[in-house]
Amino acid sequence: MAELDFVGKSILRKDGPDKVTGRASYTGDIKLPRMLVGRILRSPHPHAKILNIDISQALKLKGVKAVITSEDTLGIKAGFVETPRYPADQYPLAKDRVRYVGEEILAVAATDAYVAEEALSLIRVDYDPLPAVFDPDEAMKEGAPEIHPTHPKVKEPLSNIAGKTQSEWGDVELGFSESDYVREDRFESHLRTHGYLETQITVASYEPGNKLNLWTSSMGPFLKRAKLARLLDLPVSSVRVRKAYVGGAFGGKVDLYSHEFCAALLSMKTGRPVKIEASREEVFTAYRHGQPLIMEVKTGVKKDGTLLAQQIRVINNCGGYRGSGVVVIFLGWGYTMVPYRMANFKYEGYAVYTNNPVRGPQRGHGAPQMRFAVESQLDIIAEELGIDPIEIRLKNARESGEQLPNGDNVHNCGLKECIQSAAEHTQLKEKYGTGRTTASPNGHIRNGIGIGVSSYMSGSLIYPNSSSVSVKMNDDGTATLLTGALDVGQGAETILCQIIAEELKIPFEEIQVIAADTETTPVDIGSWISGNAYVTGNAARMAGTEVRKKLLDLAAEEMEANVKDLVMENKSVWVAGSPDKKISYRKLIGASIQKRRGDPIIGEGHWRTMRDEPFHPSLASTKGRWSENYAFDAQVAEVEVDTETGQVRLLRAVTAHDCGFPINPLLVEGQVDGQVSMALGHALMEEILMKDGHTLNPNWLEYRMPTIHETAKSEHINVITESYEVGRPYRTKEVGEGLVSALLGAIANAIYDATGVRLYSTPFSPEKILYGLGKIGRNQKVS
Amino acid sequence: MDHRKRVIELSINDEPYVLAVEPQQTLLEVLRDSLSLTGTKEGCGTGECGSCTVLLDGKPVLSCLMLAVECVNLDITTIEGVGSIERMAPIQEALLEKGGVQCGFCTPGMVLATTAMLNRNPKPSEGEIKRSLEGHLCRCTGYNKVIEAVEATIEKISDTHE
Ligand code: FES
Ligand code: FES
Repeated sequence: MAELDFVGKSILRKDGPDKVTGRASYTGDIKLPRMLVGRILRSPHPHAKILNIDISQALKLKGVKAVITSEDTLGIKAGFVETPRYPADQYPLAKDRVRYVGEEILAVAATDAYVAEEALSLIRVDYDPLPAVFDPDEAMKEGAPEIHPTHPKVKEPLSNIAGKTQSEWGDVELGFSESDYVREDRFESHLRTHGYLETQITVASYEPGNKLNLWTSSMGPFLKRAKLARLLDLPVSSVRVRKAYVGGAFGGKVDLYSHEFCAALLSMKTGRPVKIEASREEVFTAYRHGQPLIMEVKTGVKKDGTLLAQQIRVINNCGGYRGSGVVVIFLGWGYTMVPYRMANFKYEGYAVYTNNPVRGPQRGHGAPQMRFAVESQLDIIAEELGIDPIEIRLKNARESGEQLPNGDNVHNCGLKECIQSAAEHTQLKEKYGTGRTTASPNGHIRNGIGIGVSSYMSGSLIYPNSSSVSVKMNDDGTATLLTGALDVGQGAETILCQIIAEELKIPFEEIQVIAADTETTPVDIGSWISGNAYVTGNAARMAGTEVRKKLLDLAAEEMEANVKDLVMENKSVWVAGSPDKKISYRKLIGASIQKRRGDPIIGEGHWRTMRDEPFHPSLASTKGRWSENYAFDAQVAEVEVDTETGQVRLLRAVTAHDCGFPINPLLVEGQVDGQVSMALGHALMEEILMKDGHTLNPNWLEYRMPTIHETAKSEHINVITESYEVGRPYRTKEVGEGLVSALLGAIANAIYDATGVRLYSTPFSPEKILYGLGKIGRNQKVS
Repeated sequence: MDHRKRVIELSINDEPYVLAVEPQQTLLEVLRDSLSLTGTKEGCGTGECGSCTVLLDGKPVLSCLMLAVECVNLDITTIEGVGSIERMAPIQEALLEKGGVQCGFCTPGMVLATTAMLNRNPKPSEGEIKRSLEGHLCRCTGYNKVIEAVEATIEKISDTHE
């Protein structure tokens, strides 16, 4: 195979110099002439009727330019999911009724922030509070306060059901009856949040020629454009969503938010640019966090550890509107289907409305929770059967070429190698079990080791479904790449440039990028479905291939040579064996201008995962293909538990992952490290505390994310299952979500290994550990 | 609230600025909104994240907690005064090379805090590095590569000094 010059190399990120010098312009750095500041008034009640809104005093305040309420909107609802089964269920500004604390009531635009805030204080809203419910078990009961009617297709006497997913193959009852051991457990995950450093922020600028310009901190401009155009009843071509640097997103900036709609409408009303920036407190109290799930798992196994049957019931506390709550209950099925073979399976997921804030995707979108439950139970079962945790995983792990029950194929699958290499690298087999049995040399400190496994899809079919890329040659022999992809920090622009550099043999630094502008760049799937490297990458590769072919054809003509004898390197072409007679790209472009009447050299590439599948699989029944490309990983956690204080430290996390091949190893390491840190936070530190729909800890002093003092040693093993060849499609895999997903279970298993305390809920707090050790009572607090 | 403006003089990155500010305006607001020195970031506005860090007479401070009127007669350094694309400071180069930058939102604050630390002590211990950066949240990198970058910078500086 030919040597690669750019792909597979740790090339430094394209946007790095701008970022380290402070030149990178984020949405908040945009300043437009006569720009107004917008602020949003939010509901103080978890559930209430809106009786009256009086804005008259605010309108009299000097500097207030507009106030918008639901009456100023077209009355169109929005939703993360907008399908016939799950139609949009939330107005961008509440109408008549609010269903969670923080729900948007109205927005003002004023000459500065002080005036805007004073205006909010002058607005009077009369509410009639309604009974509210916060716990999903309570909300499902008959007679619970009705937040929305139960979904008409759910044929059960349950209240407040926003959606349901059901899936089944084989015969679970038969599977359980043939099992030697059947185990049932209930696991719970807690509410945690993304913690992106840049808050939610938007600048909207309406040009009366009917063009609405929007800069917004997001994860991809095309979904935002489509949703905004629909809510404002504008042609999509009248809405232009443009790139600004993004200060982290982690799933929290996918959907269109009310503040984006409000900034747009306020700009249309006032004829002036409007900026709306959420405060950190607003992000904590009113924006969308991840999804706390209840997971009931029943599993049947043979004596030798072969998994025979599994029945799973997931309940998602999805808040006052659907948000992505009905997606997570679908995904919960997928995250259990892939890693292990299971002959008989039955899955039910319920999304339940409660009077909590709406939930959205958060890195892994349910996978960390589901894998925590399944991987914890697998260790319980292994111990019961006297099998070690590695053997039981190897016995059931998928192998290359296996067909999944939904018709997908895992293709080249490195899962077994991931499990083996992670275990060997950490000497898991030797260490496992010693924490509990050996007297600890340092008294109350116990060490433990545990493993978890996960699989994640690399791209699926969610609007806009596909990516296109254009590449145009410049007269000086360099190239410009146009992509709709938005770099959210993961390095999207960098890897796309590496691919173009490789295909065209142009130095990386000489590839320019124009990105994420709905007006000038082609469509892109967005940075949320873990498909950037695979889907957009292949589109780029294809565009590069087309340009490459045009250059070679021209060169063959110029040199009277055969294309297959030509060599390309460093912006030049020559006939193999005679590098001294090379011809530069610049000259070739000149030739094109002379001989082909100036035809420019432009290439296009398009990629869509599962080309022939019309849609995403059914959220209700899971029918249909989900992905054509799965990444796999095994993660080992080594922890230290202080049995006197209950404190856990994650000392080391080893991630062995089948990422296909890394396009940029340094960027891949960055993804691994970031996810290890995030999992550490979720497992041991972070929790959004709520009481009656109110957030109790809306700041970083009380919501404790890892600081530089809370780091784990993060080691990675790339399990290579795929390769890159110039001019050919490739199949690399995702690295941005799966690697946060196995570690939660690994940490739980390591804590058990250290202490013998099995934890059934996250976070793994000192209280739970001390209770497990019999040192304190249930629900007793330690300070 | 007293909205009457005062005229003050600030020295930022060795350049003099004369401007009218309201007494309650923070240094962060003045830098970003009045002077368009937008390299300084706001992650929280309440002293919890470190992304607004600038140097006052060489010492790192959170500009979201400082009033602009408190900063007269002090030398203010922002990220714009640390290095340029053509001439990056060693810590900037190292953050790039080691992969200590992802979304980049925390980066200016980290660069300034490290600069101040290294000016104080060019050979800090790992404990000192961590103490200097403990007020800086980074959600993307998990900090390991940031620490590597700081360590590489220390090495680079000591090489050039020897
Ligand atoms: S913005 Fe100043 S500490 Fe967060
Ligand atoms: S690089 Fe994103 S927060 Fe540090």
